[in-house]
Amino acid sequence: MTRKILSGVLGVVIAFLVGALIMLLEGYEPLATYGALAQFSLGGIGPFATTLKNSVPLVLTGLSAAIAFASGPVNLGQPGQLVFGALAATLGGLYFSLPPALEIPLLLLLAIAGGALWSALAGLLRQAFGMSEFIVTLMLNMIADFFTAWAIAYPFMDRKAFSPMTPPIAQSGWMPDIGPLSSSVLLMFAAVAAMWFVVQRWRAGYEWRITGQNSLFARLGGCDVRGNFMAVMLVTGALAGLAGGLVVMAGPHRFIKGLGANYAWDGIMIAIMANNGLLETLIYGVFVAAIQTGALGMELITNVPSEIAQVLQAILVLVIVATREYAAVAFDRLAARRQARRRAP
Amino acid sequence: MDDFISLEHIVKVYPPSVLAVDDVSVGFRRGEIHSIVGENGAGKSTLMKLLYGLVPYDSGVVKIDGAPMHFRKPGDAIAMGIGMVHQEIELIPQYTVWENVVLGAEPVRGPGGVLDTKRAIELVRRKIEEFQFHLDPSAQVERISVAARQKVEILKLLYRNVSVLILDEPTAVLTPQEIPQLFAELKRLREAGTTILFISHRLDEVLELSDRITVMRKGKKIATVAASETNKEALAQMMVGRQVIFTSKRTPHRRGDRVFEAKNLCVTRRDGLKLLDDVSFSVHAGEIVGIAGVEGNGQFELVNSIMGLTAPNSGSIAVNGREICGLSILERRKLISFVPQDRAKMGASLAASILDNAIMTHHRLEPRFAAWRGLVLNYRNARAFTDSLVQRFSVQTTSSQSPFRSLSGGNQQKLILGRELLLSTPFFLMDQPTRGLDVGSIEYVHGEILAMREADRAVLLISADLEELFLIADRILVMHRGQIVADLATERTSIEEVGRYMLEGKKTA
Repeated sequence: MTRKILSGVLGVVIAFLVGALIMLLEGYEPLATYGALAQFSLGGIGPFATTLKNSVPLVLTGLSAAIAFASGPVNLGQPGQLVFGALAATLGGLYFSLPPALEIPLLLLLAIAGGALWSALAGLLRQAFGMSEFIVTLMLNMIADFFTAWAIAYPFMDRKAFSPMTPPIAQSGWMPDIGPLSSSVLLMFAAVAAMWFVVQRWRAGYEWRITGQNSLFARLGGCDVRGNFMAVMLVTGALAGLAGGLVVMAGPHRFIKGLGANYAWDGIMIAIMANNGLLETLIYGVFVAAIQTGALGMELITNVPSEIAQVLQAILVLVIVATREYAAVAFDRLAARRQARRRAP
Repeated sequence: MDDFISLEHIVKVYPPSVLAVDDVSVGFRRGEIHSIVGENGAGKSTLMKLLYGLVPYDSGVVKIDGAPMHFRKPGDAIAMGIGMVHQEIELIPQYTVWENVVLGAEPVRGPGGVLDTKRAIELVRRKIEEFQFHLDPSAQVERISVAARQKVEILKLLYRNVSVLILDEPTAVLTPQEIPQLFAELKRLREAGTTILFISHRLDEVLELSDRITVMRKGKKIATVAASETNKEALAQMMVGRQVIFTSKRTPHRRGDRVFEAKNLCVTRRDGLKLLDDVSFSVHAGEIVGIAGVEGNGQFELVNSIMGLTAPNSGSIAVNGREICGLSILERRKLISFVPQDRAKMGASLAASILDNAIMTHHRLEPRFAAWRGLVLNYRNARAFTDSLVQRFSVQTTSSQSPFRSLSGGNQQKLILGRELLLSTPFFLMDQPTRGLDVGSIEYVHGEILAMREADRAVLLISADLEELFLIADRILVMHRGQIVADLATERTSIEEVGRYMLEGKKTA
C-alpha cells in the first residue's frame, strides 16, 4: 500500500519535472505556469467545484474501463457508449416534462440503458459469433459517432441553431447545483462507492476479478464465465452511458455536436494510470480534471497555450505507468540486496 | 590437488526474497566429472548459472586457477573456456547440424565476411570425429533424435574450445536406452581433459558417472564427497535432511461401491485421429486407481472430458450413478474434486490473494459463504474458512491476504489440495499432483491421498511417475494411443511390465 502511494507520487513528481523541462525549452516559466494551473483548478471552493464537475465523465468512463479490463472483457467502447447514453437522456428530456423528482431519475435510467444497449450489442456478437469485443467495440464507436451526428443534424435538430444541436431538454431534467457544487459530482461518488462494493463484496464481483486474472481457473472452479462476461459488458456500458447523460444534464442541457469530445479516451487512459484500481481511478480522474480545468484559466493570465495540458497529460500517463513497473522491480531488488548482505559472511 | 575453479562464499537472492544460494563454497578440479545433486529448488541450477555468467550474484568470489573472475554474460564465460548446456534444447530446428554448431562463430573469408561453407563443414566434421559423436553434419536438426540434438548442443560448445562443460539435467529428456551412450561420451570427454559439471537429482546416474558429488539443500552446500565413498541412501538423506523411505505405506483396505464409471468414451480429432479410443473403466469407493502412460496418450483428453472442458464424441461418464456428460462444470463440481496438472494455469490465480484462491468453488456450493440470497459473499466466514484450511493443511504463510504467488510451490499445492478435499465430493481426480514438488511435499500429498482412500473416497490418479503409482495406487491402468491397454493390480505387476505396456501398448515376451 505505501509502495503504491510512493510510486504514484514519484511518478507525478517526475512527470511535472519533465513538463517543466519542456516549458523551459519553449521559453515559458514553469513555476508561474504550474501556479496558475493550481490556482484555477484547486485554489478555492469555486475552482475546485468546477474541477470536480469536470471530473465526472472522466471518472465514470475510467471506472467503466477499469472494471472491464480487470474482469477480462476488453471493452474499448466507452466513447460510443457515452454518446449513446447522452443521446438517450437528451431524447427523454425532449419528449418528457415531469417534475424533477421523476424527470431526473428517468433521464439517468435512459442514459444508463443507452450505454448498456450499445455495449450489449458487442457482448452478444461475441457470445453468438465469437467476434472479439476488442475490435467490435472500437468499430461501434465509429457507428455511434456518426449515428448521433446524424440524429442531431436531421431528426432532432434545433432549427433555430446555426450548428448541429438538439433543442434544450426540459428544465426539470437539469442536474441541480448545491451551492457551487454540481449534484452530478455526488452521483459520481455514489457510483464509485457502489462499484467498489460490487467488485469487492458481491459474489459476481469475486468471479469477475478471478476471471480477469485467470479465466480457465474460474471456469474450472464453477464460475459462470459466459454470464459474467455479459454482465461486465452491461455494467461497464451503463457506466459510460451514465457519464454521457450527466454531461448533457449538468452541462449544456442539450446534445451539441462534438459533445463526447475526448472524455472516454481520457477515461481509458486514467484506468491505465490507475492500474484498473477503482479508488485510484477516482483519484487520477480528479487529478487529470484539475489539469484540464486549470489549463483553461492558465491561458488567461500566462502566455502558455492550454495545449500544454495535453502534453502534461501524455507525460503523466507514460511516466506513472513506467514508474509503477520500475518501482516494483527496484523495490524487489533492494529487498534482495538487503537479504544477501545479511547472509554474506 | 588444487581446485581449477573455485566458488567462494557465493550468495544469490532472487528479488524480492528467494534465497537461492546461501553462502556456498565449492571447488572443481581439472578433468573431473563433478555432479551437483539436490531437490527441486535446492539451488543447483542457479549456482551453475552464476558460474556461467547468466545470473548475477550478490556476493562472493569466483576464481579460475586462483585468479578472481567476474563474468557479466555467458560470452565472458565461454571466452574463458566454460560452457553450459541447458535443460531445454535451444537449437534452430530448420538448420542443419553444422549450421547450428557454427552459428555465432562462423568461419568467414574475403573482405565482405562471406560464410566459408566448406571450411565450416570441415571444422564441424573434424570435431565430430575427434569426439566420436556419430553425427551427420548435414542432417537437419528437426529430423534427428533428442539425444542427437543434445550432442549438437555439446558440440556447439566444443567447437568454441570449451574445456569446462556444465550440463543441466541432460538425462531428463532422454529415454533409458539413450542414457548409457551419453555417459560413455561424457567419460570419453573426461579422458580428453574436459571438466564436466553435471546437475541431476537422479542418484543412481550420479553415482555411476561422477568422480565427486556435491549435495545441496535449500541453497546451502551440505557436502562434497567422492562417489566411491558414498551410496544412494546416504546421498538421499543429505538431500532431504532426514531418512527417506522408498517403500509404500499402503495398508490393506476394503473397496466399496462403484463411484466413478467411464463407458466407451471416444474423443476424435477433426482429422479423424482417435485421441480417446473406447475407454471404459471404473473407480470404487476407498480405491486409488492410477493411470500410467507416456504423456500425450490421451490423459489430457480424459481429464478434459471428465471436467467438462471437452465434450466426448460418444460414450458416457457417471459419478454415483449420475450421468455427468452434459452437466455444467458447476454441477460436476458437486461430485468431483480436481487437482490439475498445472497449478498456475488451471488450479489457481497467482495474482489473487490466498483467500480468493481458497474459496473458489466453495463460494458457489456452500450456503455459509452467501449473504443477501447469494448476491454478496460473506467474507467473515470466508476468512475463517481460509484460516482453518491454512492451519489444517499446514500451509506456511503470514496472512490470508498475501498474494498466492508468494507461497512456495509445495504450499501452493497444499492449499489447492486442501480446498478440493474440503469440497467433500465422492470422486477425486488428480492430474500429476506431485509434479515439481520437493520430497517433503510429495510425502505430504501422498499421505493425504491415502487418507482419502481410508475415508472411502474414490481417487483417480494420473501420473507420469511410475514409482509414485507403485507407492500408492491399488490398480494401475496403462494408456497408450488413447486406449487403456492394461488393468493391473499393483501387487501382481512390476515397473518393468508397466513400462513395456507404456512403450509398446501390448505385452511382449
